[in-house]
Amino acid sequence: MKKSNPVVIVGGGPSGTAAAAMLGKYQIPSIIIDETSKIGGVIYRGPLRNTATLPHLDDNLQRAMSALRTRYEKHKSFIELKLQTRVLGPEGDQHLLLSEGGGLTTLEHNELILATGCHERSVPFPGWQLPGVMLLGGVQLQIKSGLVKPGSKMALLGTGPLLPLVACQLHKAGVDVVGVYEASAFNKLAKEAVALLHKPKLTLNGLSMMSYLKKHQILFHYGYGIVSAQGDKYLEQVSVAPYDDQWRPDRSQAKPLDVDAIGVGYGFVARTQLAMLLGIEHDYSKVSGYIPKLDDNYQSSQKNTYVVGDSSGLLGADAAICEGQIAALNIVHQRGLLDSATMEKERRKIERKHARIKRFRFGFDRFSARQTGLLDLPQDDTVVCRCEQATKKQLTDAIAEGVKDLTTLKMRTRIGMGDCQGKTCSSYALDLLHQAGHDKNTGVIKPRFPLDPIPFTFMEETLNEQV
Amino acid sequence: MNKYDVVIAGGGAVGAACAYFLSRDTDLKIALVDLKKSGNASRASAGGLWAIGESVGLGCGVIFFKTLSKLHSEAKGEEVPTMRPHQLPDCFFEFALKSNDMYPDLYEELRTKHDVDFKFERTGLKFIMYNREDELYADQIVSGIPHLSDQIRWLDAEQLKSEEPYVTPDAIGAIDFICDHQVNPYRLVEAYTEAARQNGVELFLNTEIQSVLKEGNRVVGLKTASGDLHCDTLVNATGAWANELYKQATGKDMPVYPVKGQIVLSERMPKIMNGCISTSDCYIAQKDNGEILIGSSTEEKGFDTTNSLDKIQELSRGAMKCLPILNESNIKRCWAGLRPGTPDELPILGKVSGVEGYLNACGHFRTGILTSAITGKLITELVTEQPTSIDLTPFNVSRFDNDPT
Ligand SMILES: Cc1cc2nc3c(=O)[nH]c(=O)nc-3n(C[C@H](O)[C@H](O)[C@H](O)COP(=O)(O)OP(=O)(O)OC[C@H]3O[C@@H](n4cnc5c(N)ncnc54)[C@H](O)[C@@H]3O)c2cc1C
Ligand SMILES: Cc1cc2nc3c(=O)[nH]c(=O)nc-3n(C[C@H](O)[C@H](O)[C@H](O)COP(=O)(O)OP(=O)(O)OC[C@H]3O[C@@H](n4cnc5c(N)ncnc54)[C@H](O)[C@@H]3O)c2cc1C
Repeated sequence: MKKSNPVVIVGGGPSGTAAAAMLGKYQIPSIIIDETSKIGGVIYRGPLRNTATLPHLDDNLQRAMSALRTRYEKHKSFIELKLQTRVLGPEGDQHLLLSEGGGLTTLEHNELILATGCHERSVPFPGWQLPGVMLLGGVQLQIKSGLVKPGSKMALLGTGPLLPLVACQLHKAGVDVVGVYEASAFNKLAKEAVALLHKPKLTLNGLSMMSYLKKHQILFHYGYGIVSAQGDKYLEQVSVAPYDDQWRPDRSQAKPLDVDAIGVGYGFVARTQLAMLLGIEHDYSKVSGYIPKLDDNYQSSQKNTYVVGDSSGLLGADAAICEGQIAALNIVHQRGLLDSATMEKERRKIERKHARIKRFRFGFDRFSARQTGLLDLPQDDTVVCRCEQATKKQLTDAIAEGVKDLTTLKMRTRIGMGDCQGKTCSSYALDLLHQAGHDKNTGVIKPRFPLDPIPFTFMEETLNEQV
Repeated sequence: MNKYDVVIAGGGAVGAACAYFLSRDTDLKIALVDLKKSGNASRASAGGLWAIGESVGLGCGVIFFKTLSKLHSEAKGEEVPTMRPHQLPDCFFEFALKSNDMYPDLYEELRTKHDVDFKFERTGLKFIMYNREDELYADQIVSGIPHLSDQIRWLDAEQLKSEEPYVTPDAIGAIDFICDHQVNPYRLVEAYTEAARQNGVELFLNTEIQSVLKEGNRVVGLKTASGDLHCDTLVNATGAWANELYKQATGKDMPVYPVKGQIVLSERMPKIMNGCISTSDCYIAQKDNGEILIGSSTEEKGFDTTNSLDKIQELSRGAMKCLPILNESNIKRCWAGLRPGTPDELPILGKVSGVEGYLNACGHFRTGILTSAITGKLITELVTEQPTSIDLTPFNVSRFDNDPT
């Protein structure tokens, strides 16, 4: 392995940039590949800009991001950015296939860090495909773009701290927020989470999220959630109802709300497609879905391939930074630029911080842990796989006939065979299988190569290979 | 103790076919053991039943032969010669055509008796000609198989256009092998397996075979992840991995090795092809759900199953040249599979002298979907000690005895 070879990092979020900055500190070059036009990852949906424009982050995280930015700037000369470039999968031996600017290229890697983050979990319910029904992250993206408002009269439904946050942001952007519906009951909130919700924020003129909502008379309902969405061509109305502790709606108490858009957020799923295509071994976790098996240095079952950040388990940005740094330190050590003792010392420092975050994070995870009631939201004829138009009944029938694993379910119903490769529906299908008592060898919907469809016209010519 | 009359190792098209025919025609107690390894050929296959096409070196063969002759002349520092058809020996024609003849009935039988549908479609296989060289090549193919002239149609540009309107107007004509068809290979394996299960075969799926159990010169079973399975006869249908079991069963090596093939698949399209197509660059088949399948490379890279850009490009360009409408579509998926190759491109079937309780059913190279049916039948005949439908001498492993490779 040539010492000067750059480390290849997929994903320019907090974990990827933290890894690059750490490598740069030891003068190891790296290449960050990200499909978006700016680095920063989902937390910014924008450039590494001043933390003042990150109203949604608490003060600690704002400080952490600001420190990351400083480190990144300092070591920038060692970091090459490949933006608007999507990794489509592995190519040949030790290469990645990239799609950029209307063509394909390949990129060699010796050490590879996967920092691909997570995506929002889709929860199907009757009417979930109507225009106007959005995921929370999508809502936030629209507010931040500042161009169009996601709706004029909106409700937010889901679980976790993103709900009140987006509610505040929507209100500030001039949207009439008719209600916020948190699936879990208030008494399940851990004290850390309560503290977070009530912590004053500069950007809310010193108010906490909850007092901001109260001040503007935005109703926040605990133990409530979505039942269905209705509308002719567009969303016109949603039904909400109280949820019990299994998140089963009490349909007899359902009430209609007139809205033209909603944001729905029932959690996140790690983006592990690339890791799976690379043949890395995974385990199943209830919170994050499939996550890669890793050692203490975030090295996967494949030597010299690391998985960090939300793509290795959902712990938030602060933890993502720590993980990127640890993986980078290990590479520095492997390359012989750091002796074992120093590396251990550095690592333990970061690890202690990581452990603290983990404890805090688990409080939220318990609160927001997805309950089985969500599985019963779809009616028999509700489409649960958009691409192949598979309905809930097709899935439950197949399971009743004895299907015990995802692959067979896919063959029977075509679920997961469409263009999204199961991104939208596979976690629902998996939850159904688990509910039916099949929790061993349920398998995965294997991601396909390439991760995105490639226009045949891209095959006419290629850009040069870069080594 | 788990004791069977027959244990079949490997549940690809070949192993599953053996399980089906054995369970249909005998009362024996049978088990099938399989673990889908990455690159297993049957799932990767194109599903062509191209009995004549493959026998004369079209389909998968055309690229195989192109690669071979290119390597050959490069090695000798010569110009690449004009391509000549690469025709397999008569025994292979018999093997392939006999198997092909079985499909219409097999299709009905599996559908009506077992309610499984492997999507048999009568398509024909057209070799598309772009220029004078292609025409010469077609001439040579046709003159090499005079006994099959009733299975061949010549199409001029006009006829081709009316039968396959999406084929490039640059094409000057085609020859059509009217008895060559297609199936959905994945469903074929499922169909054999499900029918075998209904007939009482015990399935050990997702189960790794760890080793062969022997007593003296007799094979007595398999050690698997689900325990030992004892048997009177072991059928080795482990595809590209077959030499591993062979070696344990016989103490010798046989030349079965993985030959990698990459495939490109389009998104679903409306029906734009009436039949399967081979050109001198690639073959193209529209499958039952509308996706267009383009194959395939021929590479000796061990058990590697990664896709490489150069091959994907070659295949795609070949297909776009033939079907310009692909310019409006996307590649949805690519994959690679491992054909169980042999040096003479013939399968390895039957007994091994000096070893009891063991049968080979492997080395089906680029036609194991097509020839799975006859293989199932032949293995059944061997197990029940009946005369075989075709002479198996050319397919016995002993043909390699004096060959150091
Ligand atoms: C709206 C919102 C608010 C949040 N608020 C907080 C908070 O207050 N506190 C907190 O701790 N956490 C918060 N988080 C979570 C935090 O953003 C994540 O934990 C953090 O971003 C994880 O960083 P990461 O580097 O693992 O992944 P990400 O930031 O998700 O970055 C992954 C990057 O990889 C890229 N990528 C993925 N696959 C490919 C591919 N195949 N090719 C090219 N590029 C690819 C993506 O485009 C993305 O830029 C919030 C998240 C969101 C969405
Ligand atoms: C790209 C491509 C295109 C093709 N196109 C065609 C075509 O159009 N028409 C055609 O007729 N043929 C085609 N072929 C060839 C055809 O696919 C093969 O000849 C055929 O599938 C071989 O079947 P098999 O059952 O012997 O092997 P396989 O399908 O590979 O089955 C062997 C099975 O044994 C299992 N196994 C091996 N070792 C063990 C172990 N230790 N424990 C448990 N299980 C084990 C394997 O995992 C596998 O499941 C194509 C092949 C490729 C690669």
